[in-house]
Amino acid sequence: MSSEPIERRVSYLGDRLRGRRCQICGKEYFELRDYCGNCGRKSFGKMEDIDFFYEKGKLEICTLVNEPTNKFTKLGSYIYGIISFHNGRIRVPGRLTDKIIRNGEAVDLSSLEGREVVPRFRRRYSVEKSEIIPTISLAFTFADEYYPYQEYQIVKPSKEYDAPGIVGYGVYTSKFRIKEGSLERSVPFIDEDSITAAVEAGKLALIHSGVDNSLVGKVYVGSESNPYAVKPIASKVAQVLKLGEEDEDIQGVDAVDTEFACKAATSMFKDAASLVSYPKMGVQYAMVIGTDNSQAAPRDSPGGELDFFVGFGGCAYIFGKRDVIAELEGWYSCTSDTPDFWRRDGEPYPMHGGRFTGDPAYFKHIRKAAKKLMERLSLQPSDINYFVAHQPNVQFPVRIARELGFKEEQYLPSLQVAKFGNTYSGSSPVGLAAVLDIAKPNERILIVSYGSGAGSDAYSFITTGQIAEKRQRQKMTVRYQAENPFLEYVDYTTYRRLKLGM
Amino acid sequence: MLKGAHDMGNRPAIVAAGRTKFGEHYEKEPERLIEEAWIKASGDVGLERKDLEACYLSDYFLPITNKLGLEEGFLSELTELHVPMDVVRSFSSAFSNACNAIQAGRYSLVLVGGIEKMTDRWDKIRDDLMLLEDPWSYYAGGTPEANHELMLRAYIKRYGITGENLERLYIALAQVSVKNHLNALKNEYAQFQRKITVEQVLEARKSARRPLGLYDFAPISDGATAVVLANEDIAKKLTDKPIYVLGSGSATDYLTYPAREDLTGFLVSRLAMEKALKSAGISLWDIQVLELYDQSTVMEMVSLEDLGFCERGTAWKTIFESCQDYKGYYKIGENKLFVNMNGGLKADGNPLGATGGAQIYEVFKQLRGEAGERQVKDDRPLKYGCVLELEGFGTKGYVHILGGDAR
Repeated sequence: MSSEPIERRVSYLGDRLRGRRCQICGKEYFELRDYCGNCGRKSFGKMEDIDFFYEKGKLEICTLVNEPTNKFTKLGSYIYGIISFHNGRIRVPGRLTDKIIRNGEAVDLSSLEGREVVPRFRRRYSVEKSEIIPTISLAFTFADEYYPYQEYQIVKPSKEYDAPGIVGYGVYTSKFRIKEGSLERSVPFIDEDSITAAVEAGKLALIHSGVDNSLVGKVYVGSESNPYAVKPIASKVAQVLKLGEEDEDIQGVDAVDTEFACKAATSMFKDAASLVSYPKMGVQYAMVIGTDNSQAAPRDSPGGELDFFVGFGGCAYIFGKRDVIAELEGWYSCTSDTPDFWRRDGEPYPMHGGRFTGDPAYFKHIRKAAKKLMERLSLQPSDINYFVAHQPNVQFPVRIARELGFKEEQYLPSLQVAKFGNTYSGSSPVGLAAVLDIAKPNERILIVSYGSGAGSDAYSFITTGQIAEKRQRQKMTVRYQAENPFLEYVDYTTYRRLKLGM
Repeated sequence: MLKGAHDMGNRPAIVAAGRTKFGEHYEKEPERLIEEAWIKASGDVGLERKDLEACYLSDYFLPITNKLGLEEGFLSELTELHVPMDVVRSFSSAFSNACNAIQAGRYSLVLVGGIEKMTDRWDKIRDDLMLLEDPWSYYAGGTPEANHELMLRAYIKRYGITGENLERLYIALAQVSVKNHLNALKNEYAQFQRKITVEQVLEARKSARRPLGLYDFAPISDGATAVVLANEDIAKKLTDKPIYVLGSGSATDYLTYPAREDLTGFLVSRLAMEKALKSAGISLWDIQVLELYDQSTVMEMVSLEDLGFCERGTAWKTIFESCQDYKGYYKIGENKLFVNMNGGLKADGNPLGATGGAQIYEVFKQLRGEAGERQVKDDRPLKYGCVLELEGFGTKGYVHILGGDAR
């Protein structure tokens, strides 16, 4: 049952919620059937692919599962039921996720039945650490809660730009938070990890950009918390989001994971931008995702200092040359072999070099990259509307921003670490997204990432006139996720349990 | 089946039936259980192993749960028999195959046996069950119990049952369990021989915080059952009271419960019953004794509707009214229907591959007037009994109609 060939089949159908529809009678199936039971032989060749990955379903009936089967025990209690799509033409089993049902808590089933739900991409159940991690989208949340239903509409591009840039983006953080002092941090639900966050972020970026998923020619996923030592996150993203042209269940896309601590994703911005600008290659769009279920040892162990700051989330950017919302003006990257933070193979948690992480590491590289880029583009701090830096805590980005001569109104809008924690590879990308959420046309944004090990990437973006119109397609803004009424706060014990996952 | 096919001397008849007690048989190997059932059955009619021409066996998932080799092989070793043997997943399925072979004139005397040993693997049995029953529901987090509860939710919703009626429905379901436990008091082989109360059933639901609780579900069990089947000519030589298989039907439905058209019952039961009645050439209300497949109390309720004894959406009323002052049967209009006299799956036990054998055993004993304390007393002479067995969560359904010589 957990043999790999079967796992691949289950994931292939269940991750994306694929099916077929008979073009003669309209009957729909949650499986890839070659013919329709109603129409028989004449329906061969007349079955069209459907999927309801971006659709809204309805929770028809449900019950409480509080004695799950073995592989689901880590989920505790959950609501399980039957979900219909397309006005009941198709019905699937599903569980509600993102819901902690406490021991002894009574659930009024009829108050849940009839409500609209959206499919979520999650881990399916627990397996041994050596096994393939099974995933599925038969996990749902209510369409009118934290994760709202959003239509994915492919929009024909109207304008081509000279320079490449960002055509869309998506930020995904979970609805769970831990609050300690003034710092709030996002906490994954137990069935989430860096893979599921990458898929969610990529999905939101497609929705926001209106880009045709089949035109994405490359996807990069930067992370330092991939649950696999060998096996890319990017392949899952490509398959679930159907990036590139699908042919015989293989996606015509190049997908690769990158690693450079917290700059694994930002490092690839220039590669993505270059690729879409390269003539005759036919890569119209490239996607870059930064995703992390940021790791930290428990507080009383070595490396446990990080446990006060780590967050969870994914952030995806689509680069292209059409319908750009922020053009790439220039970039500068620098690298030195500075071992300020590391994780040895096979170790669950990273270690860091104490006071060593500040001056010779974070500040030195960010300072270098920012100054060099500003020099190259002949920019003064006053030419820049927004400054975004990597955010391992609140103090560091504020200190470097001030040192570089930026004022509060320039650096505060991007400062998100107090709401989500340090999302590692997603950290500065989330900051950039927060700025793009509010920026007006023709504003300049300087983003400088930092990755331990060590290096920084500095980019200058200038927003275009199209930034405002695309905003209507983005319900999951950074602010929406930070100030959501459906946020759920958990205590430290629960936080550690959820973070450990299934 | 053509009418009159029975008249060729090949009409299948049960000449003997045997079973073990259901429950936990920790100390017994699976083959010992089936041996015990066979010895009880064959002893009644003085048969030896070498008299058997073939064996039709069933288990639902014994090789998966107990990691056994080919069962035909270990049964051959045990019995030192080299006759044809086949293993299928339910007793009724094996029974149907055996009936067909006898009817076709291929064999004149065969053994039908069923076995399951679930308690050894209680730690993983629900996972195994769900994977066979409904894999997509399993992947989505479903449990064996959840499907029954969803069926109940769908039923309540479809028939718009609310308020006082809803309370009655819940009580009626509790009464099903109470009634089955009561019947099992008189069944020496039953897993549970103790009385329970409606309050206990309701309390168990409350503590489970779910629509159905501990007392609404059949247990997991170990056990084996055996039936000796012969053609009419041989049967008459072996026993004075052969019980004939008058009609049978079976049907198949989707594996994935949520994908089925009707969520409030089992299509397979309805289709199998239609076929069985037609082949037996009797009418519904000729049936007096009925063994239903009550994996849950909901299943007993919907099965009364599926088989046609109650109108859709009304079985709970029948149960509720009959159990206000339970006299040993459900009163449906002017008819009396004796249901699950052995205690049903709920109290008798449910060792999946053997369960159908216990149901057939019960009707066999009742029709022969050998059910002892459990013997039903109808106003009419006891002629016809009916057995419904399901496989998976209603993925397959089998109905057998049995009758004695009184016919």
